[in-house]
Amino acid sequence: MLYSGHCRIGNFPSRARSWVDRRLTRRPVSTPTILCIDDEALGLQIRRTVLEHAGYRVLTAEDGPTGLTLFRGHSIDGVVLDYYMPDMDGGAVAEAMRRERPDVPIMLLSAYINLPAETVALVDVTLLKGEGPTELLEKLRLMLQGRPVSTSGGLSH
Amino acid sequence: MKAPEFNRSLRQLVELPILLAVLLAAFLVWQILAAARAQQVLDASDQITAQIEELQNLFIDQETGLRGYQLTGDPGMLAPWRAAVGPVQTHFESLRTLLATDGQQATALNDLESRYRQWLDFAGKILAKNPATLADPRLNQHGKALMDSLRETTKTLLQHEQGLRQNEYDHARWLFHRELISLIAAALAVGIFLALFTRHHVHAISASYQRRIDDISSQTEALFESQQWFQTTLESIGDAVIACDIHGGVSFMNAVSERLTGWKMADARGHALHDVFRIVNEDTREAVESPVEKVRRLRHVIGLANHTMLIARDGHESIIDDSAAPIMSGTGEMIGVVLVFRDVTEERRMQAALVASEKLAVAGRLAASIAHEIHNPLDSVANLHYLLAQESDPEKRAEYLRLAQQELGRTMQISRTMLSLYREPKAPVSIDLRELIEGVLLLLDRRLKHQGIHLEARLAEPLAVEGFPAELRQVFTNLIGNAIDAAGAKGRIRIRMEHAEAEELHGSGAVVEIADSGVGIPPDIAPRLFQPFFTTKGAGGTGLGLWVSMGIVQKHGGAIRVGNSADPALPGACIRVFLPAHTFAQAAVAAN
Repeated sequence: MLYSGHCRIGNFPSRARSWVDRRLTRRPVSTPTILCIDDEALGLQIRRTVLEHAGYRVLTAEDGPTGLTLFRGHSIDGVVLDYYMPDMDGGAVAEAMRRERPDVPIMLLSAYINLPAETVALVDVTLLKGEGPTELLEKLRLMLQGRPVSTSGGLSH
Repeated sequence: MKAPEFNRSLRQLVELPILLAVLLAAFLVWQILAAARAQQVLDASDQITAQIEELQNLFIDQETGLRGYQLTGDPGMLAPWRAAVGPVQTHFESLRTLLATDGQQATALNDLESRYRQWLDFAGKILAKNPATLADPRLNQHGKALMDSLRETTKTLLQHEQGLRQNEYDHARWLFHRELISLIAAALAVGIFLALFTRHHVHAISASYQRRIDDISSQTEALFESQQWFQTTLESIGDAVIACDIHGGVSFMNAVSERLTGWKMADARGHALHDVFRIVNEDTREAVESPVEKVRRLRHVIGLANHTMLIARDGHESIIDDSAAPIMSGTGEMIGVVLVFRDVTEERRMQAALVASEKLAVAGRLAASIAHEIHNPLDSVANLHYLLAQESDPEKRAEYLRLAQQELGRTMQISRTMLSLYREPKAPVSIDLRELIEGVLLLLDRRLKHQGIHLEARLAEPLAVEGFPAELRQVFTNLIGNAIDAAGAKGRIRIRMEHAEAEELHGSGAVVEIADSGVGIPPDIAPRLFQPFFTTKGAGGTGLGLWVSMGIVQKHGGAIRVGNSADPALPGACIRVFLPAHTFAQAAVAAN
C-alpha cells in the first residue's frame, strides 16, 4: 500500500490538524463511526452490513434532515452520502455538514453521473455506485486516514 | 365642369334660341298689328272722302234738278231732286257715325248739314212759289249764295279729310319703315347674341370635355401604373402564386410558380388548374382534392392538406405548403381562386434532421436516467456478493441470496422497460395510454422526488389509443418534465386522463391534461412555444422538446393545446393533449 504522508493542511487545516494530533499523540483509535445516508432503504441496509463486516460502527439515515440530526448528535468519523434524494439532495447535506464540522470527511456515493461541480468540489471523495464493496472500503479507509483519494473513474473533476 | 353643370349648359344652348325666336315672333306680330291698324285708319278716311264726294254729287244733282225746274217750270225736271233726298240723309247719317271721333270734322259736318238745311229751306220756298216767280233774280241770288256756301263747306270738309288721310298715310309709311328697321335690328341682335352665347357655351363645354378626356387618360395611366406595380410585386414575391378564374382556368402565374410547376405563364393560360398544378399526397401518391373545388365549396381561405406534393411538368417533385383563397368581386361575388404555395422540401429535410437530433438528446438524457436506475440495485448486488463470499452462516447466506435475486430482478425490469422504449414498431399499435404514462412517471420518479413535487395522477380507467409508443413516451416525458421544471421544488403537478367523445373535427380518443403550480405561460411567449430552438431554460434546454412533441402528436392526428389553468390550486400552465383512438400515422422513414 502506497503511503505518501501527504496532509491536506492547505485545504482543511483544522481537520488535518486534528488528524495529525490524533496520530502524533498515538491515542488508541476506537472503532470509527460512519454515517450512511441514502433514500434507497434496501441498498442502505446492505451497505451497512458490508461496513459493519469491515469493522465500522454504522449509523444510517434515509433522508438528509435525519442524517443531519444524527451528524449533530454523534461523534462521526466519516460520512457516506447519496446524492439524489427527495427534498434535500446530497449537495445540500454536505454543505450543511461542512458549515458545522468541516473536519469530518465526506464521501459522495451516487449512481448519478451528472453531479454538479460545486458539490464534487465540496466533498473529499466521490464514488460511483456499482463499483463494488472492495473499492468502497478501500476509498473509505484512505479517506479516514486523511490521504488523498483518487475518485472513481469517470467522475474525476 | 361637373356633369349637372354640363347638362345645364347643353340645355341652355337649346332653350335660349327658342325663347329668343318666340320673342322675335311676338315683336313681329305686334308690328303687323300696328300696320294693320294704320291701314284701317286709312280705309276709314277713304270711305269718309268717298261719302263726302258722293254727298257733293248729290247736292249738284239736287241743284241741277232745282235749276231745271226754275228754268222750265216743268215738275218733271225735279226727278233728280227727289231721287237725291233719301241718299243725302243716309250719307249724313253714315258720315256722322264715321266722324264721331273727330271733334273738328264732326263740327264741320254739323255746319255742312245746317247749311244744307238752309239751302233746303230756300229750295222749299222756290218749290212752294208758282212757276212765275221762279225767275226772281234776288231769290236766285240768295239760292246761289247758299249753294256756294254749301259747296265751300263740303270742299273744306273734303280737303280737311284728305289732309288727315295724308297724315295717316305718312304715319303708316313711317310705321312700315320702323317695322322693317326694328325687325332687321332685332334679328341682328338675336343673331349676334346667339352667336356670342353659343360660342361661350360651346367653349365651356368643349373645355370641360377636354378636361374630362384628360382626366380619363390620366386615370388610365395611373391604372396602368398600378397594374404594373401589382404585377411586379406579385412577380417578385418569394412564394409561388397562381390565380385562376371561377372555372379553374389558370389566369396568372408568377415566376416562382412557373419554376415550381415547370409551366410558362403563356402556355398555362386558360389551361385547367389541375393540369398545371398537379398535387398528390406525399405518402399515398393519391390525387388531392382540387383546391378550386374546395374553395368554391367553403368560400373561405383554406390551407391545403398536409403532405402535399407538387409534380412539375417535367416530373420533378417538391413538397409544398400552400393555401388557397377565393377572389371576391366588389359585389361580393366569387370570381376566382388564388393559390399561394412554397417549396418546403428543404425545410422538411431540416425538420427531420432536427427531430433526429432531439431524439438523440432525449436518448442521452434517458441513458443517464437508466444508468442511475440500474446502478442502485447493481450496487446492492455487488455488496451482497461481497458479503456472501465472507459469510458462512447458511441462514444469512440464504437471506443475502434472496436479496441479491430481488435486486437483480429490479435491474432486469428496468432494463426491459428501457428496451421497450426503443423497440419501435413499423406500424401504429394499440397502446394502453395509462400504462404508457405510468411508465413515464416511473422514469421521472427520481426527478419528482428530488424536487419534492406532489404528484396527483388520475389515470383510473385504461384508455386505448393507436400510435407509436416510443414517440408518445417521448411526448409525455417532455411535457411532464416541463411541468416538473415549472412547478419547482415542493410544487404540485396534476395529471388527468379522460375519454374524449368524437367531435366535428376529430374522432373519439383520449385527452391527457397536465397542470402544474408554476408561474404559468406569459402571453408574449405563448405563440413561440412550439417554434424550434425556442427555450425558456437557457443553456439547459434545446428548444426542440415542445416542437418535436407537437410534430409527433400531429402525426398521430392529435392536438396539443397550451393554456394557463383556471384552477387556483394549480395556477400554472395547463397542457391538454388529444390523441385519437385510431390514427392514420405512418412511420416516418427519415425520423426512424
